[in-house]
Amino acid sequence: MCESCIDRLFTLGPAPCPICNKILRKLAFTPQTFEDLDVEKEVAVRRRIAKEFNKRREDFPDLRSYNDYLEEVEDIAFNLINDIDVAETEARIAQYKIENAAIIEQNLQREEQYAQYLKEQEEADRLEREQRAAELKKLEEEEREEKEKGRQELIDKLETSDKDVKKLIARSRAEAMKRAAARIITPALRSTSHLLRSRAAQSTAVPDVPHVPLQDDWYAYEDKFTLRDDYDDPVSDAVRKDREGIMRAGGYRVEEAWERALRFAVAGLDVRPLQGLRSEPPPASTSQDVVMTAA
Amino acid sequence: MAAEATPSTASSSNSKIPIYEGSTQYRHWRFSPEQLAHTRATLNEAAVKLIRDAFEADSAGSSSSVSFLNADEELLLVKLYAGKVSQLCGHFRFPEEVEATAVTYLKRFYLKNTVMDWHPKNVMLTALFLATKTTNHPIALEHYASHIPRTAPSDVLDLEFLVAQSLGFDFAVWHAHRALWGIWLDIQTLPDIDMNELRKAYDVALTHVRASRLTDVELIYTPSQIALACLSLASPGLASAWARSKSGSPESSPSSPSSTPSPEILVLELLEPIKSMILIQGSPPDVEAVREVDRRLKLCKNPEKIVGSNAYNKKREAQERKAAEKRARKAAQVRQAMADGDPFGSELAEQDMVDDDDDDD
Repeated sequence: MCESCIDRLFTLGPAPCPICNKILRKLAFTPQTFEDLDVEKEVAVRRRIAKEFNKRREDFPDLRSYNDYLEEVEDIAFNLINDIDVAETEARIAQYKIENAAIIEQNLQREEQYAQYLKEQEEADRLEREQRAAELKKLEEEEREEKEKGRQELIDKLETSDKDVKKLIARSRAEAMKRAAARIITPALRSTSHLLRSRAAQSTAVPDVPHVPLQDDWYAYEDKFTLRDDYDDPVSDAVRKDREGIMRAGGYRVEEAWERALRFAVAGLDVRPLQGLRSEPPPASTSQDVVMTAA
Repeated sequence: MAAEATPSTASSSNSKIPIYEGSTQYRHWRFSPEQLAHTRATLNEAAVKLIRDAFEADSAGSSSSVSFLNADEELLLVKLYAGKVSQLCGHFRFPEEVEATAVTYLKRFYLKNTVMDWHPKNVMLTALFLATKTTNHPIALEHYASHIPRTAPSDVLDLEFLVAQSLGFDFAVWHAHRALWGIWLDIQTLPDIDMNELRKAYDVALTHVRASRLTDVELIYTPSQIALACLSLASPGLASAWARSKSGSPESSPSSPSSTPSPEILVLELLEPIKSMILIQGSPPDVEAVREVDRRLKLCKNPEKIVGSNAYNKKREAQERKAAEKRARKAAQVRQAMADGDPFGSELAEQDMVDDDDDDD
């Protein structure tokens, strides 16, 4: 029903609905959220029921009783949505409310607390992020100031002293580097370790499920070589020296390449070569273009 | 097919199969020198006979003036084009694995086919392209063909399936250069190794490995043996030191004096023929000789494979006729089955089993 009609009909108090003549109040009208009216009705019913039927799994001794409870709730919802036995269903709801008043209250409290807790978490996170941003900005400021100061000092010194120009410049540059290095180490360490600690505290480590290692009948020359941690190896230098780890993106590990190479180096080292002609030399037929090699 | 020699490993007591012996390189592409020579000779003879017949069918008496290639000359040509692979790879900057794989594919292909049927130039291009794909360094076909003069993409693609089939679809190859890298890494675990000496030896050994690609060693020996042989050519001391460390087994104690030579001696003995093969055969073939062979090849190519020649057309017609016959036969069978009322054929036993497989083509 459009808003203007609602205003027209119901401003002067409760009035009968033009279609079904039920008495309605203006307050009872809510704006429609879903396109489908049936869905809207269902959602409204479920919202109403959920306020009362808010028990959780923990409130039940076993799964069966929990599922029974859920089925009750669905039953009631179904009846209300499809207008079956409305009066009886209302009676059931009322009875449930009387029986479980205390538990309902408890659950309401609990939910409220949880919502509160979540909000606080969010606040804390946001504050932390802001703090960190502020710190970084402060650091940048400091750096810039120091650089400026350094340059000023250099200019002054060049003006005033007679010492060798190059030496002065070199010295000031060395000092600047030292300052930069010292600065990078301390704040970085601080913030990342703090982050790591909080994240570790939140998540709980999941222990590895015990599993049987892969067993098959292949001998992979494991006893013929031992893989060391590090080799002098120009071939893999590019990958190992790559600081940003771009080359290792797909999970590439140098150790695996080394292991493969080592395996190749010892594989078949004592296989004797074939000798002489066997009784059946490989079929040499060129009447066909291709020979499908027999296994 | 090449029968398998029993693996004479020191650990033959355990029932597990070494993985190298599960690879197709071990199972299908391992021969003795005698077998190789025999294969090539018989292949060559059969090919000459076929081509001679094709020539005769075309115009009688023409084949007497043509001098066909023999197996050694074919090998010369293959060797030349194997060297060209290396040049191409340098041009495209392909990794060594691609180059090694392509050369292996080329050699294996010409153990199953003859040069007179398929010119090695095209086969080489196709083998290289296939190698880039199978070693996970693919490039676009247009890019590949555009960088090679006088080559259209279809030249490469036409032979691709043929090459793959001739390889028996055994695309994975175990290479000696990787084994050499492994030996380089492993030697560093030995005590008292002079890194400078090792480095120099490694570089020399690598050139030997590259030379070995022009020889037949990879069809006879395992990649680890070839790598050890190359290292032994560069620095015998290092090689034997490493071999000794690998064979460190209880048998090398003085309790068994001379009845069983220590495994390390066996391995080192094994290396001698490899070394001589690499030194003798590992250089690019003589340009003049190759030019001569190439000239003769132009005259003795199999006319059946040249698109547009009489023999080719005749062969195509013969094939099509066979296919048409087969289709007619099948249609007749189906019609008969429908007439009988049961579309799946009622009396299986009464029909002659006609072999309609496509394999023979």
